[in-house]
Amino acid sequence: MSDLDKAIAQLRSCRPIPEDQVRELCHRARELLIEEGNVVTVTAPVTICGDIHGQFHDLMELFRVGGDVPDTNYLFMGDFVDRGFYSLESFLLLLCLKVRYPDRMTLIRGNHESRQITTVYGFYDECLRKYGSANVWRYCCDVFDYLALGAIVLGASSTLSPGMPDDDDTEIEVCDQAGSIISRFPRQRANQSASQEKLEAPNKSTADKTGPPGSGASGSSSGSVGNPTGAILCVHGGLSPLVDTVDKIRLIDRKQEVPHEGAMCDLLWSDPDEIDGWGLSPRGAGFLFGADIVKVFNHRNDLSLIARAHQLVMEGFKEMFDASIVTVWSAPNYCYRCGNVAAVLELTEDESGTGIFQRTNGDVGRSSGAVIESRGGPKNGPARRYRVFQAAPQDSRGMPAKKPVADYFL
Amino acid sequence: MAQPLPHQDKKRVKVYELRNNDWFDRGTGFCTAKFATNEDGHKDPKVIVESEDQPERLLLETTIQKQDGFQKQQGKCAPNAHRLAGARQWRGYGLELPGGRGMRHDMVYDNLDDELAIEPIPPVNLPAAELGNLAEIETSLRSMSSTAAGREAVTKFIVAEDYIDKLIPLVEIAEDLESLPDLHRLCNIMKTILLLNDTSIIEHSVSDECLLGVVGALEYDPDFPSHKANHRHWLSNQGRFKEVVPIDDENVRRKIHQTYRLQYLKDVVLARILDDPTFSVLSSLIFFNQVEIVQHLQSSPGFLMNLFGIFSAHYPETKKRKEAVLFIQQCCAIAKTVQAPARQSLYINFLNHGLLRVIYYGLRHVDVAVRVGATDILISIIEHDPMLIRQTIFRQMHEGSSSLLDCLIDLLLVEVDLGIKTQISDALRVILDHGNTAAYSEPANNNGNNGNGNGNGNGNGNGNNGNGQKQQTSEYAFRARLQMSVDPQHEHFLNRFYDTSAVKLFKPLIELDSRPNLDFTVQEAAMFSGLVEVLGFFIRQHHRFSRYFFIVHNLAARIILLLKCRDKYLQLVSIRCFRLIIGLQEELYVKNLITNDVLGPILEVLVETVPRDNLVSAACTELFDFIKKEYLRDMVKQLVAEHRDNLLLVEHIPPCRDLIMRYDHTEGFTTNMDIFADTDDDMMKRPAHIRMLEYMPIDLREEEYWDSSDPEDDNEDQSSGDRSSDSGGASSKPLVDYDSDEDDEDAEESAEHDADHQSKDNDDNDNGEDPDADADFAPRSSSASPNVPPPERLSEKRRREEDEDDDDELGKLMHSKRRNSSSTESNSSITQNLNRRRKNFANGAGNGVTPRKIAISLSPALKSGGPSRSDDDL
Repeated sequence: MSDLDKAIAQLRSCRPIPEDQVRELCHRARELLIEEGNVVTVTAPVTICGDIHGQFHDLMELFRVGGDVPDTNYLFMGDFVDRGFYSLESFLLLLCLKVRYPDRMTLIRGNHESRQITTVYGFYDECLRKYGSANVWRYCCDVFDYLALGAIVLGASSTLSPGMPDDDDTEIEVCDQAGSIISRFPRQRANQSASQEKLEAPNKSTADKTGPPGSGASGSSSGSVGNPTGAILCVHGGLSPLVDTVDKIRLIDRKQEVPHEGAMCDLLWSDPDEIDGWGLSPRGAGFLFGADIVKVFNHRNDLSLIARAHQLVMEGFKEMFDASIVTVWSAPNYCYRCGNVAAVLELTEDESGTGIFQRTNGDVGRSSGAVIESRGGPKNGPARRYRVFQAAPQDSRGMPAKKPVADYFL
Repeated sequence: MAQPLPHQDKKRVKVYELRNNDWFDRGTGFCTAKFATNEDGHKDPKVIVESEDQPERLLLETTIQKQDGFQKQQGKCAPNAHRLAGARQWRGYGLELPGGRGMRHDMVYDNLDDELAIEPIPPVNLPAAELGNLAEIETSLRSMSSTAAGREAVTKFIVAEDYIDKLIPLVEIAEDLESLPDLHRLCNIMKTILLLNDTSIIEHSVSDECLLGVVGALEYDPDFPSHKANHRHWLSNQGRFKEVVPIDDENVRRKIHQTYRLQYLKDVVLARILDDPTFSVLSSLIFFNQVEIVQHLQSSPGFLMNLFGIFSAHYPETKKRKEAVLFIQQCCAIAKTVQAPARQSLYINFLNHGLLRVIYYGLRHVDVAVRVGATDILISIIEHDPMLIRQTIFRQMHEGSSSLLDCLIDLLLVEVDLGIKTQISDALRVILDHGNTAAYSEPANNNGNNGNGNGNGNGNGNGNNGNGQKQQTSEYAFRARLQMSVDPQHEHFLNRFYDTSAVKLFKPLIELDSRPNLDFTVQEAAMFSGLVEVLGFFIRQHHRFSRYFFIVHNLAARIILLLKCRDKYLQLVSIRCFRLIIGLQEELYVKNLITNDVLGPILEVLVETVPRDNLVSAACTELFDFIKKEYLRDMVKQLVAEHRDNLLLVEHIPPCRDLIMRYDHTEGFTTNMDIFADTDDDMMKRPAHIRMLEYMPIDLREEEYWDSSDPEDDNEDQSSGDRSSDSGGASSKPLVDYDSDEDDEDAEESAEHDADHQSKDNDDNDNGEDPDADADFAPRSSSASPNVPPPERLSEKRRREEDEDDDDELGKLMHSKRRNSSSTESNSSITQNLNRRRKNFANGAGNGVTPRKIAISLSPALKSGGPSRSDDDL
């Protein structure tokens, strides 16, 4: 058993590893992360996860529901730390798994992976308590600076289980934590729905069309009629007015503290909202962006979907804007009291090899007509399976609490 | 809750008066509003309440003033209605006349039946504290605490009856009986009581008498039926309190214990269930205790004498010294939370009693915890005010003794603990970052900063200060640097530093070429990356001092060596350092880099890494992109002429391809930028590049440098005179267009002027849908993109209002530029740039407008985006 495996085992039991091991781990993680571009390419199958926020036991629950590493390929969209009481264990475990199985684990940066935010929202304090000095916090913050800003998922299938043709039409499947299916939503065939809508538009209100749960109030989000060649962009927050192509993200000098504004800040701070165009964000950083922005961005970049985290959604996931963007939230009972469920998003692999694969980012020579033509095809957008899960049973963990200060002079 | 009131002339109300935070019942009566004529003949609206029992008695007569905000309160939402409701749920209106006359009236309509609850807060009664009653106690407590009035009543009851004291014995009884249900109930009861959120209850709970009983009850959380916490075990361990020097004041000692317990309560016992009000009650209790403790300690000379006496030569015991260092460390940590004046006097008191000796002692200690403590102390002081430490160093320099600075440098080079290393290099930077002392002495309002972040190399100099503050800082720094020689002390200081200390500091770097190999240990790698980062910081901050040092010791050649080592992050750090130097665009540096052929090795690194898209290749690409955009002629020449083979290997990367192409087009002779701009095949991408560029740290001194007239400038101006005429006739001022904005704007302008312009046509065809280009160049809104430019931040709006008079194209361009600038330093430099440009434009158009003053306004939006970010982020 290697040191790394020992560390993983120790962290899995929610016990922090010694400081020199953390230093070593962070060093190795840095070597690995420096090799990653700002936008990491990930191939399906992959399970996409949202915020964790130091809820270690719920992270364990996530692995139970979604499959263990390295059996499942994971992509975590940031915000590993703060709020919960086990930020340290959660982040270090994820980092260990990243170092141990680099190809099966992708970590991208969230707005909480920042020196400033962690000093306010708990991670700094936690490190100080657990190690008596801020060194471990510094090592971790160093690693934060190297984390990628986004990921592109390629090769996602448009069917959930290729072996069974009758499942062909399922676009969205929602499962509970035991794996049994809660609900299933067939794909809307683009040409059909278009004509249907035309026919029924006068007497059918949009409210009749019930979207999947988690698709929120927008009743029209009954499935995507997206781009058949689309990849999926994963990013913690959302889009930026300064980023019109995915390649623009690649030009960011990411090895720095999350700035207060600019493209890097926006990617980590923005939120989608029911507005037109761009809006000021109430968070004080990033922007709000509307459906039109998402659609133009997805179209220009051959994306069928943007997956992001950053916002608490009570149902664990929420598709917006005709399923062109989805929020995935993976911290059940957030802050130990919000009462929400969590979800992970599973994208299956396209085994035929003919589906979503070839793509070029920001190819200027691309004729804009071709895309529109191919929209008539029946298959579009990746098939998505959401596994919804609840907080780990209370008995499986001790009482969540911060570690008390050991000695005191004052 | 709002119910239609039966319409009647008189409303039945209860009148309460606020006296000493308590509401006193003045009785029930009927309320009318009428106009009363006063002595001036004016008619004043009045509210009158006549007593129900004795109609002749007025319970209330008050004039309705215009400025009185009447608050209509409805049902449960009304804070005052709460207070009145008592155990009964009242339905009705509260009408509050805000006081200010020492009296506050509240009226509550009641539209229930006639039997009114006369008593304002009916005294509540909890069943006697006995095991048998626990279930009942729990339910009644819960129901009472659901309303604010109930909470108040039950709080009074608990305090008056010493109810907690009565509950405490039950814990032990229930434990003896092993009655888990009772223990669970006790836990719930105790939780509810603490969450009543009453200061006196909480203070009582952490008192010596109650503490163990209270936390004992809380050990049995029904949410975790199979667990039992060990709070009592933890808290009863008296050994946790380390008393380095006896504290005489009994009251202060009690406060110290109380604070610890409150913290334990907050972090451990109640951590999971804490609601916001209770959290803030606990936090403020802790805060006020700490203020009091710190105040007491620093104002008792005897105590300080004893404390610092531990470090005097004749005091033998070293273990005590360690504890004393840790004690002072904790003092300083607490001091960070108290207000600046108190902090200031604490530090000064400490320094007067010999704090520096403690720091010296601690820094050299073998125990890493002590070294951490000493660095923490040092950092907290210089974070507060670096002048406190600088003055000492000045004095030491005068005396010729080995200064604290040297001590830090020594330590930095040998320190094995990487955390301390980072902190010391941060400390060095702050101490040596002179010139903006004013900005520093204005105490940093960034509490959570903790001396971090300076090392993150994001080129913003001072690390994590709030953005707004940084803006101020940079503005100040800008002025300060303009008058660099004003403070001879600083100059002397820096001279001394570069004469001796800097050589010592950068010795490993200077001697790098004599190393047999480049296989670094982790420690060495960390040291080199730290040194290169510090060097980058000095180059930005110290201008001519560091420039001389850099060139004399030929540090460029040394850093090139680091490019060849295997540690990717050392490569990265080196590339970023070169990028920073190139970004300064100072002639001497550029020449030095060319002499050392810095670009060749960087290109090699790129060629080696290029199949991969990683941080190193991104940094290289960005650097070449910068050279291309700025068209640093000599560098391009060197790159293409001497390294063409390598450049061809990475030809697929746009900046590299463009470099070759541009060079070939001109064969290195022409300097006319317009030709490049026009033939640039990715013209449409340029705005984005400019934007990217603006995220790079652009130093103000760069501006200063280019503002100052220079023979070189004139030459160049002549050679590129073609362009200045293009942008509007003879320029009154030498225009050196190294800055990308200007180039591109000029190019953009010329593109607009020239209708047949090819690039513009291309632009429109290829890029009609590029919303960003539109967003950025708003004035040219020819495209029908669905995207609209992002809304301006508040600050821009304000600036826009200020600048409304210049409604020309350039003005607009300027606004959109400003929006996109991220680093505040670049912000100001851009402003200046634009002003210069505008002046040119104006001159060219023959308007003869006088140049504007440079205005750098402190933007509120930025400020709020700082550390005090909105709370609801997820």
